Amino acid sequence: MRVYISGMGVVSSLGNSVDDIWSALLRGDTGVKAVPEWGKYNGLRCLVAAPAHKYDESFIARKARRTMSPMSEMATIATLQAMNQAGFPSDNLWGKLDEHRTLISMGSTTGSPETLEENFRRMFERGGPEGQQATTFFKIMNHSVPSNVASALAYQGPLLSPSSACSTSAQAMILGWELIRSGLYDLVIAGGADELHHTSNSTFDVVQAASIGFNDRPEETPRPFDRKRDGLVCSEGAAIVVLESEAHLEKRGGKPLAEFVSGAYHCDGTHMSQPQTPAMVKVMTQSLKRANLASEQIEYVNAHATGTVMGDVEEARSIDAMFGRKVPVSSLKGHFGHSLAACGAIEVISSVKMLEAQKLIGTRNFVERDPEMPAIFLPQGVVEKKFSTFLSNNFAFGGINSSLIVSKVGAR
Amino acid sequence: MQRSEVVMEVNKVIHEGFEVPFEKLNPSANLFADLELDSLDAIDLMVALEERTGHKVNIEVFKNARTLDDVYRMVGDLVTQ
Repeated sequence: MRVYISGMGVVSSLGNSVDDIWSALLRGDTGVKAVPEWGKYNGLRCLVAAPAHKYDESFIARKARRTMSPMSEMATIATLQAMNQAGFPSDNLWGKLDEHRTLISMGSTTGSPETLEENFRRMFERGGPEGQQATTFFKIMNHSVPSNVASALAYQGPLLSPSSACSTSAQAMILGWELIRSGLYDLVIAGGADELHHTSNSTFDVVQAASIGFNDRPEETPRPFDRKRDGLVCSEGAAIVVLESEAHLEKRGGKPLAEFVSGAYHCDGTHMSQPQTPAMVKVMTQSLKRANLASEQIEYVNAHATGTVMGDVEEARSIDAMFGRKVPVSSLKGHFGHSLAACGAIEVISSVKMLEAQKLIGTRNFVERDPEMPAIFLPQGVVEKKFSTFLSNNFAFGGINSSLIVSKVGAR
Repeated sequence: MQRSEVVMEVNKVIHEGFEVPFEKLNPSANLFADLELDSLDAIDLMVALEERTGHKVNIEVFKNARTLDDVYRMVGDLVTQ
């Protein structure tokens, strides 16, 4: 059974619609900005980030909005965009769907970090729950994003909330693909969201994975695969795709945007934060195997490459081992920053746009290859490329590696 | 604090915190049926009133409030204690 992507929606540092981010990628824009106000946090050295473009959440009913932090607001907007594109209008999102055969599969790295900080600040100041708001918990629970999206959009069907940090939305999509293929669901609304906060940035700063040397030149970082890279830059956003079985799409006369061919997720089971080439090779191999494809059939690799010193080398080595040095590879973290739970779906959406346009977006800020890395093919700028299949990687803290494959409709 | 000040402060809290238009804020308005508040809102309203007045609300008294006038009287009693 084939599974298609029939709708896509995004809120991000490069824009708040699929068309906007595609235009920004073609221009080579970056969403990264200086955040000097983070200088007040003791020990925080990375003072750059990629905030989402301003968005309007006022259309969300107050009783749904009151339990939302920004990640849920962004996810609601992205879900509506994706559903609308798939052919489900906002005033009748669910009427044409069997609620028992529709699934929301979406997550975030944690509950709202902003609300967590405020919650515990109050609790420590007051020595207990005195003065806590009733709506706080619903912003910080682990399934805050999908629950709030469901509440805002009056969705009453099955819901799952996979959470695996930077692999979250990739895992949510792959899980959707698995469950549609299993015959359990016709349509899965899949993706992820995260909001920008100094504590998320601190997590990476503490483990020496955040970019600290470009506070005065934010547009020059992160630098995936580049010799001068010094770490990742946190971003935020939401990205949602509608996955749908071929039979369901045909029956309702929907239009496929791309085929979601395959995916796999593995835990490397050896280290919480150190990326491992063999584990990356393993998950890419499994994704190919599940697609019944040979490595030669992958014509573009959208790398996770966040701009960290260790991670990029390990991924370059794994791509070299899998695909050699002729297949073009790029990372979009230099454009978007690292949107954590949203990045997998943002990168799939961006790569589907590349597929449609037959153009590759090279790695922003990549100038000179790190001599520690194999010489994989890293195109720069916007490159014309006839291709029909890409593979996209995401690797997360906790050792959760994911890899998925998408093809042009009718290519297989 | 005069009753008119209490009314103004409570109305401001409900308007700003719960997006209820000022024109709906009359003393006989039922908190739930007319102002469309619910159990979560009631807790957050209590917290907001405590923050605005600097006084601890008696939750048993607050639980019995049904109309906006009940809230005005409760807050009035609170700030004159």
